[in-house]
Amino acid sequence: MGGLSSLAIRSLAARRGRTGLSVVGIALGVAVLYASLATDAGIAASIGRTVRHLVGRADLRVESFGPVGLSAESLAAIDAAPGVAVAAPALQRRTYLPPAENDASAAPAPVTVLGIEPGPEASVRDLVLAGGVPLSGPDASEALISATLAAANGTALGDTITLPKLGGDEAPVDLTVVGIVAGDGPILGSAGRTVILPLHTMQRLFDDATVSRVDIVAGEGASPAEVSTAIGVALTSQPYVISTPASVADSLRSSSADFRSTTALIAAVALFVGAFLIFNTLSMTVSERVRELGLLRAAGATRRQLVGFVVVQAIVLGILGGLLGLVAGFVLAELMAADLRSIASIPFERVDPSLGSIVAVVAIGLGVTVAAAIEPARRASSIPPVEALRDRIDPTTARRARLAWLVGVFVVVGIAGLLTWPRDAGFAGLARSGLVYLVLFGAVLTAPFVLGALGRLAGLPFRGVLRVEERLARASIVRDRSRTTLTVGALAIGLAMVVAIGGVAHQSRLAASVWLDEVIPGDELVTSIRPIALDEDVIGQLAAIDGVARVSPFAVFEVARNGVRMDAAAVVGGDMLADGRLRFIDGDRTAALNDLDKGGVAVLPRSIAERTGLTVGSTLTLAVGEGKVADLRVAGVTERTLPGGVGEAVLVGWPDATAVFGVAGADVLAVRYVPGKAAEARPVLEEAARTAALEPNPLETVAGAVDTALAQVFGLFDALALVAVVVAALGIVNTLTVSVLERVRELGVLRAAGMTRDQVRRTVVVEAGILGIVGSVLGIVTGLIAGAILVLLAGGGPLILDLPWLSIAAALVLGIGISMAASWYPARLASRLAIVAAVQHE
Amino acid sequence: MAAILEAHDLAKRYRLGATTVDALRGVSLAVDEGEFVALMGPSGSGKSTLLQLLGGLDRPTAGEVVLQGEMISQLSDDAATKLRRDRTGFVFQSFNLIPLLDVTENVALPFTISGADTSKGEISERIRDVIALVELAGKERHKPDQLSAGEQQRVAIARALVTRPALLFADEPTGNLDYTTGTEILEALWRSCVERHQTVVLVTHDSKAAAYADRVLVISDGRIRDEIVLGRRSEHDTGPLVSRLAELGL
Repeated sequence: MGGLSSLAIRSLAARRGRTGLSVVGIALGVAVLYASLATDAGIAASIGRTVRHLVGRADLRVESFGPVGLSAESLAAIDAAPGVAVAAPALQRRTYLPPAENDASAAPAPVTVLGIEPGPEASVRDLVLAGGVPLSGPDASEALISATLAAANGTALGDTITLPKLGGDEAPVDLTVVGIVAGDGPILGSAGRTVILPLHTMQRLFDDATVSRVDIVAGEGASPAEVSTAIGVALTSQPYVISTPASVADSLRSSSADFRSTTALIAAVALFVGAFLIFNTLSMTVSERVRELGLLRAAGATRRQLVGFVVVQAIVLGILGGLLGLVAGFVLAELMAADLRSIASIPFERVDPSLGSIVAVVAIGLGVTVAAAIEPARRASSIPPVEALRDRIDPTTARRARLAWLVGVFVVVGIAGLLTWPRDAGFAGLARSGLVYLVLFGAVLTAPFVLGALGRLAGLPFRGVLRVEERLARASIVRDRSRTTLTVGALAIGLAMVVAIGGVAHQSRLAASVWLDEVIPGDELVTSIRPIALDEDVIGQLAAIDGVARVSPFAVFEVARNGVRMDAAAVVGGDMLADGRLRFIDGDRTAALNDLDKGGVAVLPRSIAERTGLTVGSTLTLAVGEGKVADLRVAGVTERTLPGGVGEAVLVGWPDATAVFGVAGADVLAVRYVPGKAAEARPVLEEAARTAALEPNPLETVAGAVDTALAQVFGLFDALALVAVVVAALGIVNTLTVSVLERVRELGVLRAAGMTRDQVRRTVVVEAGILGIVGSVLGIVTGLIAGAILVLLAGGGPLILDLPWLSIAAALVLGIGISMAASWYPARLASRLAIVAAVQHE
Repeated sequence: MAAILEAHDLAKRYRLGATTVDALRGVSLAVDEGEFVALMGPSGSGKSTLLQLLGGLDRPTAGEVVLQGEMISQLSDDAATKLRRDRTGFVFQSFNLIPLLDVTENVALPFTISGADTSKGEISERIRDVIALVELAGKERHKPDQLSAGEQQRVAIARALVTRPALLFADEPTGNLDYTTGTEILEALWRSCVERHQTVVLVTHDSKAAAYADRVLVISDGRIRDEIVLGRRSEHDTGPLVSRLAELGL
């Protein structure tokens, strides 16, 4: 390279604006990549902490499957299984703390109660006490409460805590608080309202002789796998689930897989758009400097030296962009962490990526920049020395960028994406994202072919009012098609991500609202933290309120078919029939719903019917423990049913739910008001529900909560996708500026002939507007396709044919707005050209 | 005196779509060491094409170019590049200075390209000498936009001379200059021949410029039409040249 590297760097410094824009473009892509890696590291650390918190030192956890806990017999079998050194049982339920005597009108406050055997429990996990002493034994009338609960209730050591006694009419039970557990206590999702009791005390309190789980420590010389096998042999009386710390972690990881793969995809797209910017910028630089590069060749510079000239510039841009990107990425990671803390189901703490990851991020930024520089460098080297002899630069010999080289950039960014892909996010997420990435790239390759037609259409809104400006703008756009394609392509990709994310969010909202509209037989959902038996007074009391048409109980529980977990829901078929809910696609609706209440039948959602191949008349065989099964006749198939933990639920009647599957009661009561009487009846019902320690939720609130949760997650994705749009905008500034500089003489002649400064300015703005419209249209179409792919391949259900109009409008406004905003500087530059200097410009 | 540059039956054909254009048709010439030769002809005569072939900037369709006894017309790109760096110098009509570099850096460009240290030693001295030769001493730190057109072209000449090339090729060096400034440039080129025994090949359509040459080759329609020997003269009167051109009907 010789001394040309110094000239290369000085050339960058001489064009500060363009260099700055290029550095910022790369920096933004690197920032999103860093933030994605940091978030991933944080999620991994959080999962690790959560697993340690959940499982402690246990090698295995045995949990009950279904609504009935592990019996004393099962517990004894586990205890006696070979290789089990410690078996620590626990029972976990939710209940209410009765209101204080001096505040009887206050609503009962929910708490999570955990019953433990202090001795074995201490072998599995450490209960850190902020004060007091541990529980003395499994039968003591003592309690530990979390510090959070103690502070909320003003409860101190030695005070009494009162818990309601379930079963019968016995009075609430007072327990002495002997210890305060630090922080929120050991149970996730309890909001810190945790009470820990001796196991037997709790079993008496809840009239429940079972346990929810048993944490097992394997003995010396016994592996968890061997102990698991031994338990499998010993435990035959009821269904159960065995998990290890690794499987708990896997489960948590898979629940965050979609989030992590989406942020990784957005990072790859932002990098790709940054690479576009570099490709375009360096291509324009080469085109502008044909004569200078020809001179260098004439003066004895080799082709290799000219390649090096461009590559050195790319290296400097890449290093500066990478370092700036690290700083910006740190800030972005903090912002993402703050957002995640409010929406994540497990506590999230940001973790910085390792030094190796930081180096990798900078190296990727550098690598992508250099990859984007290869084609411009190659073109620079192919400029023949005779170009220096030409009086005028022939536009055709400036040699436009060959867009086919973008494939190389695409591959490099793809490889970078693969190297930084969250390893445990699953292959499905990778395949989905890879397909979307291909679609985005396909859009860029399509752009040259649609540019002319779309450009003419995009000019229509301007033609009526700004005819001359529109004509000049379109001529400028087609002057260098490859440059325009790159500019429009980058904008299209950024907007496509916005539309795709919007499409997925829209589908999610639609699916949720369809569920609410088509399945729930009520205007209000009253939830309970404990099962409400069907014969409890509260159901009748609520139903008797004037203006209430119906109170329908339902409960969701787990079942197993051929060893595979499924969700089931207990419903009152008659209520569903009367309410007109559930859209049947097979089977007689009236007969099926009536038969549910008689027992022995099930109604399947389409998703399960298609997956299992079951049809009306088939037999659905479900495990019920002790080696027994329940055969239910499939009476009907509906479009959709209630959502469960892993998918949609199989509907069964209450007779089967209670007698066969052991469901203790309803989790939710769906309340339907008499039309026209909801306004009067609602406050009465809600008051009555709260008094009975139930939580009323109008359907609008439920829908709103769903919307809020979706908005939080997708809002984060939108913000990241906007980074790609901003980078594209930087490209537009570059392109329009160079376009003005190329036309200095032409603009000077137009001004000399009478064109006003405002007209010149408007020409550039209209050019930007046309680019914005073309980019938006291309981005919207691409985004809709990408969004459909994400929905269909995520297996979230069928695609609902409903366009995300809000996202489409946002993309259009954003695309045009950001393009026209980006034209501010180039338009100003063009309008301020001095006529005399301009017409003399070479 | 031995010929430093020879051309034998040079031809250059261009394809422009379906048409072919013969820019040169069988041109042969020889240039002696230290000679100042002008290639003169109207626009489109092929003189610039001939210069490009003689300077190794392009390859002929037929024929050969021999520089200092070495055939250069079919050199590889790398070899041709080395030739341009070490043995030829070029002055262009449009100066072609690098805007970012000052006078000294522009003059030093060939050495910079080869990776030599231009800040000290014999190279640094040579740069100073050649800047003095073109009478730009005192303006070493000026950037091109701080120089007049004539000064810029003198920088270009200095750049071409600094490597002490076997041959200096000048393509319409006064084309963008006024009469007085153009005269200064031609004087500088002529002085390099006289004082440094530099061999110069000048392309021009202007008889006033061609009058500085020892010998003028008149090119027309891709061929050498005539050779006019003016000899080395301290006064560059155009009379004999113009008369002969008139006889030729040019």
